[in-house]
Amino acid sequence: MSTTTIPGPGTGSRPTGGRPAAPRRAGGPEGPRSSTGLLRQLRRRTARPGRALLLGVVPVALISTFIVFLMTYLASANPAAQKLGENATPEAIARLNHSWGLDRGFFEQYVSWLGHAVTGDLGTSYFTDTSVGEAIAQRLPIDLALTIVAIVTAIVLGFAAGTIAAVRRGGIVDRVVTLVASVLITIPEFWLAIMAVVLFSVTLGWLPSGGWVPFHQDPWQWLQHVLLPGVSLGLTVAAQVARQLRGSLVSALDEDYVVGARVRGLSPRRILFGHALRNAAAPAIATVGLAVPTLLGGAVIAESIFGLPGLGQYALNGAQSHDVPVIQGVLVATIAIVLISNVVVDALLARLRPATRKA
Amino acid sequence: MDTFRRTFATTYVRVAGVVLLLVLIVAVFGGALAPDDPLGQGDAIFAHAGTSGHLLGTDYVGRDVLSRLLSGAGASVLSAAAMVGVGLLLGAIPGVLSAFAGRWAEFGLLRFTDAMMALPPIVFAIAIAGLFTNGQVGAIIAIGVLLAPRFFRIARAETLGFAHQQYVEAATLLGASRTWIVRRHIWRKVLPTIAVTTATSAGYAVLAAASLGFLGLGVQAPDPTWGGMLAANVEHLAEDSWAPIWPGLFIALTAWSLNALADGLRDGLAAESGLVRGAVDDPDALLAGVVPAADDPHARDLAADGAASGGPDGTGDRDHAADPAPGGDGRVPVGAGAHGRPGAGREGVRDVG
Repeated sequence: MSTTTIPGPGTGSRPTGGRPAAPRRAGGPEGPRSSTGLLRQLRRRTARPGRALLLGVVPVALISTFIVFLMTYLASANPAAQKLGENATPEAIARLNHSWGLDRGFFEQYVSWLGHAVTGDLGTSYFTDTSVGEAIAQRLPIDLALTIVAIVTAIVLGFAAGTIAAVRRGGIVDRVVTLVASVLITIPEFWLAIMAVVLFSVTLGWLPSGGWVPFHQDPWQWLQHVLLPGVSLGLTVAAQVARQLRGSLVSALDEDYVVGARVRGLSPRRILFGHALRNAAAPAIATVGLAVPTLLGGAVIAESIFGLPGLGQYALNGAQSHDVPVIQGVLVATIAIVLISNVVVDALLARLRPATRKA
Repeated sequence: MDTFRRTFATTYVRVAGVVLLLVLIVAVFGGALAPDDPLGQGDAIFAHAGTSGHLLGTDYVGRDVLSRLLSGAGASVLSAAAMVGVGLLLGAIPGVLSAFAGRWAEFGLLRFTDAMMALPPIVFAIAIAGLFTNGQVGAIIAIGVLLAPRFFRIARAETLGFAHQQYVEAATLLGASRTWIVRRHIWRKVLPTIAVTTATSAGYAVLAAASLGFLGLGVQAPDPTWGGMLAANVEHLAEDSWAPIWPGLFIALTAWSLNALADGLRDGLAAESGLVRGAVDDPDALLAGVVPAADDPHARDLAADGAASGGPDGTGDRDHAADPAPGGDGRVPVGAGAHGRPGAGREGVRDVG
């Protein structure tokens, strides 16, 4: 579903030693790590996380937001004329364009837009005259909740299945996990969500087929509403995680240090959780991190299946009416989520693996 | 041809190949194969599969489901193909060329691909498709543009593995231009790996096209797409709960066949490099590798082997490049030490230095 380039933006500036779990990073397709002396120098100076953040995340954030602005700038076709209708005088249109700041040059518009976006001010919708930032803040919790439930599902199910499959390699559990995972990976996650509604709502009547209750109103109701879309969204990622973890754990269990630990008389449990899993978990965690953009997209589709008033519906409406600030705002918000999750995953990976931590 | 044979070595991949062929035939001739008018409404609504002459039943206005699935295949599959085409064009070619670019250009390009990867595809496609006047073209461009970074990274990683081979350096010394080197030495070797990425990306694009069809972007009702049919089914879940099965099956089968094909291709390539690796034991072959004659196929294979097995430009790159999807590699253990010494990849060596 997504590439295996393990390092997200930002991981690149960290060297990886030859630790057992590391080859995937060490030789992965790309990563800024490959390549030039310039980057190597930068990397040497980026031992501290603050600098890694600055060199990894900030350029990515700047470039991606610039792409968003450039695209919407090129595509937007005189919104003032659209808003004022056919009978509008050219003066009125010019006045409205001026009040939106659209009569300025491209770079002036971009800088002022970026400056406002950094402070959280995403502008005002052209057509509904409401604050984009506030509207997003109202809707974002829904998509975040779906994504987080999906991530928890992916981690819990994926790690459990992958670990059992690797430990009982070649056994019946291993084969079932491999089969189920390979089926799950090719099924579109929104189709899973639809079938989950058919099974658990329409047929069995256990869970609601749609609607939303905010967490602070009634946590129990919230859970019931978030469970179907969230879990069905997470299953595909869980399958990816299980396959990834099974692969890396199988190899980790064959490593010399595991044999050594066994010779030293450590318990199988300690070897698995203290040594092998610790080294094998990194690619699986990175898989979860890489899945975040896909999961956000899945949450948008889940919204429309379950009738949730989330970010996706807002974006769809905004896109249909060519409401540029809305589109820009939604994209900036999702980019921010993706980048934050990248930083979190990087931090986790760095904590997990001594080789990265040392750097 | 050998690669082709090895790719289809297992029944699993052969079945996938047949399924994919059927899907393509349906995508091209779908409308002609349909037993019924895909837009023609009938009296029997929500007819069950097999009843009143409708093999897969009818939908909420009595249209034949099978006919809609068959004639919807074109829009669903061909738009996915177009997405992959855009991605290939924007990703693979710059990826190969970037390996020969200067440092700053490399730095910039890599940050740029990082930035593209931070954009969530579906949300991005909603925005672009909304801004374009033609929603379908917008959706194709949006997903295609976001597929480009994968091709870029893979093509670049592969090219880097070959770019510092001796025969490339020799060609440079002889005064060959970069264009000539890419055309003569690099392109053909990078192609198989790009083929794997193309297959997995196509699998992803089918799902993305279905998702966008589900959201109502792209082809507009009443013309059928698989995703759009699912959306209509969701509206009528209470009346006909099991209707989503059929479009889902078509989408999943298409995506599966592409992923299985990618797996087969990957395994075929791995088998090939494994076979060639054996040849290094032969001293003559080794010599041929040291003094490569560009037209000698044996030398070419050996050179490929230099990148594919444990050399300093090593395993890591080739293996991972050939292995783009975390989900797609079930049978090849991907983690530690599965292929050669950990950390033997180029980067590992550099970091020590």
